[in-house]
Amino acid sequence: MVAADEAIAKNYHVLEELGRGSFGVVYKALEKATGQTVAIKHIDLESSDDDIQEIQQEIAVLSSCASSFVTQYKASFLRGHKLWIVMEYLGGGSCLDLLRPGVFSEAHIAIVCRELLLGLDYLHNEGKLHRDIKAANVLLSEKGRVKLADFGVAAQLTNIKSQRNTFVGTPFWMAPEVIQQAGYDHKADIWSLGITALEMAKGEPPHANIHPMKVLFLIPKNAPPKLEGHFSKEFKDFISQCLVKDPDRRPSAKDLLKHRFIRSAGKVEALQELIQRKQMWDANRTRKMYPIMYQETLNTVNAAKIQDDDDGWVFDTVKSVAAVAPVSPRKATVKRRPSAMTAMEDNFHKLDLKDGPLQPSSPASLGTVRRSTVRRQPSTAISHSGSPRPSLRAKRPLQPLQPDISFGNNGSTMRLFKRVPSDGSNGPPTVVHDSYDDDFYNSDDDIFPQPKPLPSSRVVSRGSNEENQPPRLFSNHPPPTDATSKEAVLGRRLYAKAIEPGMNEMHASTASPEKREALARLNDAFALLNAVDPEGSYDFMRHMVSSCSQDTRLNSAIVQAPPLCIVNGDYVPEGDAAVGTVIIKSQQSPSKLIMSQANPHLKSHRKRMSSQVNDEPSTPSRKCRELGTMEAKLPKATKPGMEHCKQLSDALYGRWVEGLRVRWPAV
Amino acid sequence: MAFLFGRGRARTNTIDLSKQAREQISKLNGPELVAESAKSELAKILAQMKLTMQGTHETESSPDQVYHLVTGLIQEDLLYLLATHLHKFPFESRKDIQVIFSSAFRFRPPSASPKSDPLALSYVVNNRPQVLIELCKGYEHRESAIPAGYVLREVLKNEAAAAVILYDDGEYDGPGMKGLTTIDRDRPSNGNGVFWKFFDWIDKSSFEVAADAFGTFRDLLTKHKELVPRYLAVNFELFFGKYNSILIQSKSYVTKRQSIKLLGEILLDRSNYNVMTAYVDSGEHLKITMNLLRSDQKMVQYEGFHVFKVFVANPHKSIAVQKILLMNREKLLVFLQHFLEDRTDDEQFIDEREFLIKQIRNMPPTPVQPQVRPGLIIGN
Repeated sequence: MVAADEAIAKNYHVLEELGRGSFGVVYKALEKATGQTVAIKHIDLESSDDDIQEIQQEIAVLSSCASSFVTQYKASFLRGHKLWIVMEYLGGGSCLDLLRPGVFSEAHIAIVCRELLLGLDYLHNEGKLHRDIKAANVLLSEKGRVKLADFGVAAQLTNIKSQRNTFVGTPFWMAPEVIQQAGYDHKADIWSLGITALEMAKGEPPHANIHPMKVLFLIPKNAPPKLEGHFSKEFKDFISQCLVKDPDRRPSAKDLLKHRFIRSAGKVEALQELIQRKQMWDANRTRKMYPIMYQETLNTVNAAKIQDDDDGWVFDTVKSVAAVAPVSPRKATVKRRPSAMTAMEDNFHKLDLKDGPLQPSSPASLGTVRRSTVRRQPSTAISHSGSPRPSLRAKRPLQPLQPDISFGNNGSTMRLFKRVPSDGSNGPPTVVHDSYDDDFYNSDDDIFPQPKPLPSSRVVSRGSNEENQPPRLFSNHPPPTDATSKEAVLGRRLYAKAIEPGMNEMHASTASPEKREALARLNDAFALLNAVDPEGSYDFMRHMVSSCSQDTRLNSAIVQAPPLCIVNGDYVPEGDAAVGTVIIKSQQSPSKLIMSQANPHLKSHRKRMSSQVNDEPSTPSRKCRELGTMEAKLPKATKPGMEHCKQLSDALYGRWVEGLRVRWPAV
Repeated sequence: MAFLFGRGRARTNTIDLSKQAREQISKLNGPELVAESAKSELAKILAQMKLTMQGTHETESSPDQVYHLVTGLIQEDLLYLLATHLHKFPFESRKDIQVIFSSAFRFRPPSASPKSDPLALSYVVNNRPQVLIELCKGYEHRESAIPAGYVLREVLKNEAAAAVILYDDGEYDGPGMKGLTTIDRDRPSNGNGVFWKFFDWIDKSSFEVAADAFGTFRDLLTKHKELVPRYLAVNFELFFGKYNSILIQSKSYVTKRQSIKLLGEILLDRSNYNVMTAYVDSGEHLKITMNLLRSDQKMVQYEGFHVFKVFVANPHKSIAVQKILLMNREKLLVFLQHFLEDRTDDEQFIDEREFLIKQIRNMPPTPVQPQVRPGLIIGN
């Protein structure tokens, strides 16, 4: 599989990031043979328990579609534990994105509906049911072409006449017969289309303010929703035809294509107006965006590095059990990233072999991307059992899945579900952090805790890496001295929290080999100083900071300046979720609905019990609250006896707050 | 009159379709120009066949016409020909063939008992099993893998069809190729049959093909509770030898993870009791499993755990297994304590992990001869 997949991978050149969700990241890429732009989706298979078969099922449905009204699937391949799915690139975004600036005009809706009907007619003739038609799953090309996307729950019928009984879809859009589970066919998609038309006209589907589970009772019980207000007779009639409750009396896609509302629809090019409107709207609220270039994450490698400082299982009878030194539990060695920067260097080497980018990026291109090159996805970040909030993602209780609709192309395939509560409650925000921030920002609850046992663990892990490291000046560190004085404790902390992460960040974003070498040496020097004389390193930094603050220019340039990209600071692309360092998730209150685990519908329920809760997961207001809770944890007030540290902590705190301000001006 | 006339024409048409298709297929191996025009002719014929088979949303298919089409397919040996050439057809034709096959394999004449095997299926299983072998070989090409796999998984619900594939020995007229009755279920496989090719298809193909082949492989091994345990017992060494060396050790993450999971499912299936006890007797198997626990991928660790637990929970552990567990007892205890710690919401897993820790802790310090298993008493 590996070699065969490699051959496919070679056809693509990956460019910048387009968006991300819990399923993974979407990149823009070039198909080398044709020069065509494509979207490539990375799905991290390690991060989900989901059966890979489900993903494959979706690929099978998609790959058997060949219609200009359906997002085109091109290829898929594996790299390590990531599945890459190559899709047609659709630059216009989803209809849901395009609804953000405001509702659509009737003329636009007519065009979208006609194109959707053409797509549905194709699917239905192929014996396929989409089962999740809604604005979020309708994508537009830059030219205004309309495409059906997200075949995550689509069904392939063995016979075009067979029926299905599975309970899937998104509640607000679900047809009554799907909810009642009395068997349904292609007409269910027509109902959902009608609801989608209402969504485009009103901005949201009917009952949008009601709990999705309750809606499941209302849809079969109530009279079908109607379009009210200043709309044409034709449009109102079109909606009411789509929303006939009896599926047998509901017209098919082919019938509806003859409807007057549809026949009088204009050309798809007119939809470019919607795209432009969205761009204008974005421009008014967007700050500068930086493209995030593709870099392979180091998750795999980090995990690989953990691999065994101890010598594995004993299968050989020669070794007696007693002779084996007691082994520290594996996870214990994971507590800290062994990330001296040379370790990172190794990571890159290993990446080339195993899990690397499509083609080894040239040093030149790395140079132009002077950004945090080491991206971690929180989803797979290794838990640091020593950190205060280890791997929250993993600890979160199982939540119903909801489609992630944060980015247009996201909708086109695969795992677009996020675990979020179905009721949209916003409880105390949770922080998903990645490891750098963990080191740098998230102060522990007690302000100056006892030093973590990090120096020793680092030495251990370094030892295990040594064979891969270039010869270096001080490769043999003397054993670290015990940090007894407060200054020493602070010094250790200074190194762990500020110097080392900063160095790593610099190193990671530096391309030139000489510069990297120089930085590595400096880091080593610091590490040595930290090991033998933490007080010294504290004093040194204190002097440096105080001299800087005495010089006016330096003061404004360094002390008052916002941090550089010191942290793994991602500039959040507008409208995109889950990119930044501190990500606010809505509260994970367990779903109220209790169903037997054996209920076959439970799964589909979970998938689809959704609303638009996470529509804009990181609005400034939430960030604001987030900031508040973070501030409470900051070393603002020093503990008694620690006053002499105030100067340093104030400086660090100032930088931290500045960093937040730069990123979230609303704060 | 018009009614009778329409019927008569349709009948000749449907019979003609199969004849025409056969003629065109014979040209596929000819010069390029001829082959190309044959393909476009075939595309029309196949589209017509598909329409006959399943009708449209507006019009029902006529059972009469379908009957004639299915018998036509059989008479002209089209099922075999289409399966063999599947990868050469254009995209739409491949999908048409998929529909034609799956409809044909489900079709029963209105007069037949609903419990009887569908016409084409029983013909293929008893008289033309090579069709099934050719469908499996669809995995040799990316183009044909998905449609062939789809048809296969439908067909494999039939036990006899599964038996044909399992007991194939690679000979065109081998056992099983002359009908089911000739299969000797106690004769070990020579390892040349089409079933064994699945290992390579799963390991070496691209993701799409490999994942589909794995799905078929899984169906083949899990759907038939009588056929498969017997097959696995007779071919134990060959099967698990390949399974462990090719699938469990695969470089492909997906293959590795899915095959460990399937191994767990096979071992824990009640019908496979004897296979399971034989599997967990082997120290070598335990070593492989314990190494999975140390994988750097946590889902591999997790799936590996579900195999490992069978070894530990087995009350009649072999001496070899006891030795390995005892040799690593302290390590295992510490290791398991912290094994996949972040799965805090997986209660079953946590319970099982606790159980294993207890089991390992309570093992007697030296290996003891396992008690004779109830299964063996009957054997003796």
